[in-house]
Amino acid sequence: MMDILSQLDFTFFLLASIGTLIGIIFGAIPGMTATMAVAVCLPLTYALGLEHGLSLLLGLYVGGISGGMVPAVLLNIPGTPSSITTTFDGYPMAQKGEGERALRVCVVASLVGGLISAAVLFLFAPLLAEFSIKFSYVEKFLIILLALTVIASMSNNMLVGIFSGAIGVWLSLIGTYSLSDGGNGNTRLMFDFMEPYLFEGFSLLPVLIGIFGISTILLEAESGVKSSLTGQKIKIGKEGGFSLSIFKGRLTNLVRSSFIGTFVGMLPGVGGSAASVLAYTQEKNLSRDSSEMGKGAPQGLIASESANNALTGGALIPLLSLGIPGDSTTAVLIGAFTLQGIQVGPLFIPENTDTWYIMMVALVAANIVMFLLMFYAIKYIARVVLVPKYLLYPLIVMMCVVGAYAINYGIMFDVWTLMIFGVLGYLVQKVGLEVAPLIIGFILGSSAEVYFVKSLESFGTLSIFFTKSPIAVVLWGLIAASVIFSIVMGLKSRTRRQLEMSQ
Amino acid sequence: MSNARLVKGIGVSAMMAAMALGSSYAMAVDGPLRGNVRVVIGSSSTGGDTYQNASIVVDELSEKLDLNMKVDAVGVSAAYNALQRDPRGNTLMIFHDQSYLGHLYGVQGYEDPFENYIIGPTIAINPGNAYLVPKDSPYQTLDDIIAAVGEGETVRVAIQPGGVSEIGYTALKNAIRILHPGAEENLVAVNTGSQSDKNQLLFDDQADLINGSVQANEQYTRLPEDDQKAMRFVWLTARHDTLAQANEEGLGQTDRETLLQFAEPNVQVTMGDDQNFAFDKEFFFLYNKDMDPAIVEQIDTALEEIYAEGEIQETQKRSFFIPDFMASSESQEYLRDKAERYEGIIESLQE
Repeated sequence: MMDILSQLDFTFFLLASIGTLIGIIFGAIPGMTATMAVAVCLPLTYALGLEHGLSLLLGLYVGGISGGMVPAVLLNIPGTPSSITTTFDGYPMAQKGEGERALRVCVVASLVGGLISAAVLFLFAPLLAEFSIKFSYVEKFLIILLALTVIASMSNNMLVGIFSGAIGVWLSLIGTYSLSDGGNGNTRLMFDFMEPYLFEGFSLLPVLIGIFGISTILLEAESGVKSSLTGQKIKIGKEGGFSLSIFKGRLTNLVRSSFIGTFVGMLPGVGGSAASVLAYTQEKNLSRDSSEMGKGAPQGLIASESANNALTGGALIPLLSLGIPGDSTTAVLIGAFTLQGIQVGPLFIPENTDTWYIMMVALVAANIVMFLLMFYAIKYIARVVLVPKYLLYPLIVMMCVVGAYAINYGIMFDVWTLMIFGVLGYLVQKVGLEVAPLIIGFILGSSAEVYFVKSLESFGTLSIFFTKSPIAVVLWGLIAASVIFSIVMGLKSRTRRQLEMSQ
Repeated sequence: MSNARLVKGIGVSAMMAAMALGSSYAMAVDGPLRGNVRVVIGSSSTGGDTYQNASIVVDELSEKLDLNMKVDAVGVSAAYNALQRDPRGNTLMIFHDQSYLGHLYGVQGYEDPFENYIIGPTIAINPGNAYLVPKDSPYQTLDDIIAAVGEGETVRVAIQPGGVSEIGYTALKNAIRILHPGAEENLVAVNTGSQSDKNQLLFDDQADLINGSVQANEQYTRLPEDDQKAMRFVWLTARHDTLAQANEEGLGQTDRETLLQFAEPNVQVTMGDDQNFAFDKEFFFLYNKDMDPAIVEQIDTALEEIYAEGEIQETQKRSFFIPDFMASSESQEYLRDKAERYEGIIESLQE
């Protein structure tokens, strides 16, 4: 015990804070992610030693995931893939002049999500790891399918939404069914001359930034640059006020989304973006009034942000109790242990209790620092929107280009991807397709394919999706409920619209 | 609110990001290799043995050459692309036998490394490449498996196709073909990806045997038998003499003596003609085809000095790697021979 206390010195907490700050900056810059931040700082763990290194890296992780909310809310660009659902309600709120309020909701939700998942990690890690291996390919496919059902409930016009989602899935299948996923490594859905560029398909982040960020800028550019400051419309200070009462009646949402985030985080291979998408769907389906979601409702932000921060604790569960990283960032984080020659596997926690406690302290500290840094800095951060658009937009485009170029360590095609999807995002909105379902289809499509194919490969029959396990049956129940709910809601809103038309 | 303040804020953030990303420009006083050096690896994992090995060597090399060097886990195709673009020597690559095995198995994206790149010095061996069964498996040894397959039982092996993970499977299949002609059809590969996927197949009872490693699976072998996750080693593909060089303590709680039981000659995988299959996973440098030969020599010399000092061997052994330095000219010949040998095995099975 004394060993632990001696490790928890000033430097330890300073590193956690610096990590969180740098993480937030990485997360907030479109094209830079928590994963990158951790990868860049990984070699530092040599010099810092394991405990201090971990406090820095966990800070980067928590900060990086949280920072994504800033551009998501203010600029409609998800800073990290897992903040995509934050744009759905955050940006409309920012446009209404409530950017600051939206960000504060996000920060509080992030803190709660982070702490709940840390508590779950601390108390139940080995138990949950046991549970997580009950999820075979079949159940993982069903989880992704459940997340995909959000497409139906999220779109304004269900058929158009589903069509857009299908295009997204199709786009995600371009490239190879990778050898590292057990495929044959052959390219498909392209002409031969595209092979050098599209061998691994379109990279996720340039697509995201292009379709959200660049297309938003193109749409704005089309409407012409007005000399007036956009900020004049923004209510800052009391008018855009925030109080904890926003969370009144939303506790269920907050807690549910945090648990969904933790849960998805703990399933290796399902991916971070599925967490916030799933939490968002469930809020949409289960809340008493979800009619405002997608138009600027705080409840959407609460669901999205608490879930994506809860991912952190969740993804550490299989890492520390099975040696299997739960998401892409923890996959890099595992390097901190291997570099020090420490095995991470099912016996890691019992054999390294000191390190385990120290990690928990660092995780909680990082969450608190994230909250303090962001909650009080938001006032200033939110003023980004005060910058005249003719200055702001070129800056953003430049940052997006640099970020896209850097994301895979210097691939020029990623910049073209950014531009292609920027224009595509613009055109898609012009012809009346829906962007959000398209992008969710794109994000979830490739893992849906892998798990679907693997299930068939392993079991050889389609019926296995229904008969594999009680978990599968429960998931089918949830999928059915989600689909029925969207249909009912769709019909309701249609009759309402018809009523309004006839009046 | 002043835009000036905001601009300043953005400036500071940009600077911090730049500081985090970049690093100061270092210059070696002498030697043809100058500036910052990026060492790409053929694996995108920072938790794997390639990253760990590359880090150990690059750390020492960077000190010896007084250059700023950094390992980047970018994955196979990105690594080859980066290497091809840079004949100056500021991009180097570290990878292992996968580089030519991928080519021999005909995997897309793998060109012949002996034709397209300069093979640099070898640095280490990971003797941990292993095959495991569930702890409660009816198969006690690899011989049991070979016999069972020979009698017509289907045995499913989880591997990642096209490389180090597959070579052991190929050899096993070949051995069954020699001992029980025709029965090799009963040994079936379950193609999958990461280690966690392979483990999961074992937990789900979708595979009877999986490829793994001492590093990644040792803890699983120490779980009680009634644990769904418990596994047992049946085969380590490393050569006996290689494994015998490891630290006596082995890895985790499993000592060298125990591990040696799972390697040849205790475990026999015949290649015919009284020859036994064994495979050492070796790590080595790859250079751009047009890189200045003086740089090749500079790195060879530096590594020679590092290995002569003897400290790096301790670091490598602590992580269960076997130090294995061969200067470029020697390693080129050695690896070419090795590749030819395995080409024979792979071809004989594809007939």
